[in-house]
Amino acid sequence: MPIPISLTWFGKKRSAAPPPKDRSRLRVGIPKVLNIWSTHQFWVGFLTALGIAPENIIFSSDTSEEQYREFGKGRGTVDCCYPVKCISGHYGELLFGLKKKIDILLSPMIYSLPSFLRGHVLDTLTCTRVMAGPENIKAGFLKERDVFAENGVIYASPFVSLGEPAVVPDQLYEALKDILQLDYEETERAVEAGYRALEAFNQKMRQHSREVLTWCARNDRPCVFVLARPYHMDPGIGHEIEASIQAHGFPILWVQYFPLDDDLMDWLFGQEIRAGRIRSPFDISDVWPSSYSSNTNEILWGAKVAARCPWITCVIRFSSYECGMDQPTYTPTQKIVEATGTLFFKFGDLDATKPAGSIKIRVETIVHYVEKYSPEIIRRKRAWLPDPCPLLPSPEPVTQTLEPETDVARAF
Amino acid sequence: MQAVAHYTAYKPRPFTREERQHVTILFGGLTWKHERLIQATMHNLGYNAQPLPNIRRSDLDAGKELIDVGACCPTIFTTGNLVNFLKSEVARRGRDEVVNKYVFLTAGACGPCRFGQYHESYTMALDGLGLRDFRLFLLAQNQLDQGAAAGGGLEINLALSLGLVWAILCADVLTDMEYLTRPYEVVPGQTEEVLRESIEELYEVFRNRPIQGREGNKWKILGWHYLTDYFTDALERVRKKWEAIEVDRLRVKPKVKITGEFWLQTHEGEGNYNMKRWLEQEGAEVIPPPVAVWLDYLLHSPILKLEKRRRHERRARLKIAIIRALEHIFHRTYNRFRQALGGLPYELPDQEELKRLADPYYHYELRGGEGHMLVGKALYAYLHKKAHMICELSPYSCMPNTMSIGAMAQVQGKYPDMLYAPIEVKGDAEIHALSRCQMILTEAKKRAQQEFEQALAETGLTVEAIRAVEARHPELTRSTYRIPHYGYAGTAANYVVHIARKWRRALA
Repeated sequence: MPIPISLTWFGKKRSAAPPPKDRSRLRVGIPKVLNIWSTHQFWVGFLTALGIAPENIIFSSDTSEEQYREFGKGRGTVDCCYPVKCISGHYGELLFGLKKKIDILLSPMIYSLPSFLRGHVLDTLTCTRVMAGPENIKAGFLKERDVFAENGVIYASPFVSLGEPAVVPDQLYEALKDILQLDYEETERAVEAGYRALEAFNQKMRQHSREVLTWCARNDRPCVFVLARPYHMDPGIGHEIEASIQAHGFPILWVQYFPLDDDLMDWLFGQEIRAGRIRSPFDISDVWPSSYSSNTNEILWGAKVAARCPWITCVIRFSSYECGMDQPTYTPTQKIVEATGTLFFKFGDLDATKPAGSIKIRVETIVHYVEKYSPEIIRRKRAWLPDPCPLLPSPEPVTQTLEPETDVARAF
Repeated sequence: MQAVAHYTAYKPRPFTREERQHVTILFGGLTWKHERLIQATMHNLGYNAQPLPNIRRSDLDAGKELIDVGACCPTIFTTGNLVNFLKSEVARRGRDEVVNKYVFLTAGACGPCRFGQYHESYTMALDGLGLRDFRLFLLAQNQLDQGAAAGGGLEINLALSLGLVWAILCADVLTDMEYLTRPYEVVPGQTEEVLRESIEELYEVFRNRPIQGREGNKWKILGWHYLTDYFTDALERVRKKWEAIEVDRLRVKPKVKITGEFWLQTHEGEGNYNMKRWLEQEGAEVIPPPVAVWLDYLLHSPILKLEKRRRHERRARLKIAIIRALEHIFHRTYNRFRQALGGLPYELPDQEELKRLADPYYHYELRGGEGHMLVGKALYAYLHKKAHMICELSPYSCMPNTMSIGAMAQVQGKYPDMLYAPIEVKGDAEIHALSRCQMILTEAKKRAQQEFEQALAETGLTVEAIRAVEARHPELTRSTYRIPHYGYAGTAANYVVHIARKWRRALA
């Protein structure tokens, strides 16, 4: 009978790490939809940390009518908002439309988001349709037969609470361990890498926005602020309306990447914090008590920023047809922005049909108003904020060149 | 530097304790049975309370006029319901009296669906009516002890919350009795009459709930609700009233399980095209959804979440143990109420089983609406042969429901013979919705008839022979006589098997 202790001493040690798994040839397709627009860097960082070659991480194209017609038609299971419905086209493109086949279709069910408002709001959940979209779309590819299996593709749809980094390794390990042959430690490391990549990207974007805002402040020029959900950056959903406005010479800022630097936040919200009206620059309880939904919270916060920031003279609000999360926010958002005389234009019910003509006319209207009213809006909003403005260069220190004798005499 | 007036959200002025005597708390959203017992609970604690009138079609128009475009059907209906009530009261009493005489209490939510934002619609409607100073308060549906609302006029404590939950459970089991009996009643209208008497008797029971002196001690309040026979005795008295109803269970009727979005599936009225009553009129037996399943889901979901977070959540095991204890109390209470009514009301489905059934099609952590339960309940009814058909009521523009209904496409692909009728309720497309439902109901009727004939063939019984047994055993024709489930969905088929098994020797 073996003596256990001797086994421990003389047995073959398992300390040698298993040989690294070669995942460099695995091809992972990700549908570029919904909150992938704001979390894509996490997925890139996560997958590359697991050894998947960056060129083998394939995002589907921007949304388009052609994409849906060619790859998604007939896969719909229920009528819902277009940003979810169009996912069928993205799945289809990844399954049938690539020259080089993918091995895995990764479509995460993102339950919560790592929003900059987390900790200041009640929660940062995603919309119910957004989190459940993959289950709905998957059904369209399985209702008659397993289209994924037929195409030799593994369908992976991890449920992931990106707003709670502590639980993400467990969730991704559980969902992907058999598909990617993961061990827990490497999953943890890959998740950390994912968050680092996402944070670095967001910082870079915010730095760019700060530069734009600084340029506006120093040149006394207006910029246009977009209040929308991340997927409205997709040209097939947002119709590039902001790009049309930018073509007229007005810089564009998106709420998701507004600079969050302390000096700027204190300048915009410091007075209200000191007056006890809000607890922090990111507290939105004064305008939106039910702060559960991440993108909604950010839109409401963005409306507050737009109402206060002098060089944001115009807000354009995008909303897709049948957006249930946006619907209760229409009036509050508009009221927040317009309370300070900031221009507000809403493009509601955006859907698959690109209303090019009407957008052109509305863009011309917006441009006219921005040109006409911006100087007055900037002047008025600037008067409400304290000096100095962190976006403007510090004034030269005043060097006193008084006659010393006179000065001393006055002092006494 | 100049001053600026920024926008601020609606905030109700306080409802003070001194105002309790003169202020009436308005509430709504459930059936008249649930609301009457909720009212009794509030009266028991010294509140003036009044349910809003039942939803009507005109509420849809009133809601649409005053809130942002694109709202979901329950939001429009419930906002319009409050609007129409306030309008009529303002016309009757004047604006100032209405603003001071009433407050509105509604359920809040912590979920990602816009249910948690209903109050935005209400406040917008108040703005539209020029009643911004009217007070509305939120009752979080997942906290039994929330303390006093601003001003202390309303205290959401254990005495109130347990009273409300017990009231809901009693209304649920009586609703089951109602739907089990009415399709088979021999004297039309008798069920309705007995139901009203039963609810009024229970109203008195809840209004006279002897909890005085226990308000301060939570354990005593919980223990009293859990351990005493106060409510079961009352339900046993109620059961005797139901014994008077004669039924004919040889009427062959398809059983239709109602599922869907919470408000719409629970509602009885024009808000869902009177779907349950319409199905009965079309010859069906309806299985109504108890509110208790939703409460059970709310209780159970944190366990599933905590189990996944054991390593990260402090005292996860302790929290799980506490929730399991609450679950036990909840289930035992519901089952005691069922037993008091002769074991007739349906048992609650096992939440773990619903999760397991839904798992391949819909992830259980996807929140909002019914979550995975919509898929799980449909499969539960189908696989356990609890119903011939599932009627799924989904509100226009409901976000979570569209997702789970979409997922049902895969379920239907796997079980093509499942009779599933997803009905979108918009409030103004009644004919379209009813005709869709009717198409599937026709097939369900055929199945119920086939089942019945199969049961007769298998047992060798005839309708005449059963009638003869009934003549010798009149207790069989009482509404309180329990027919076990023998694997058939239909009541008539199970009745045939029951007669055959119990009276086989006599029949031979």
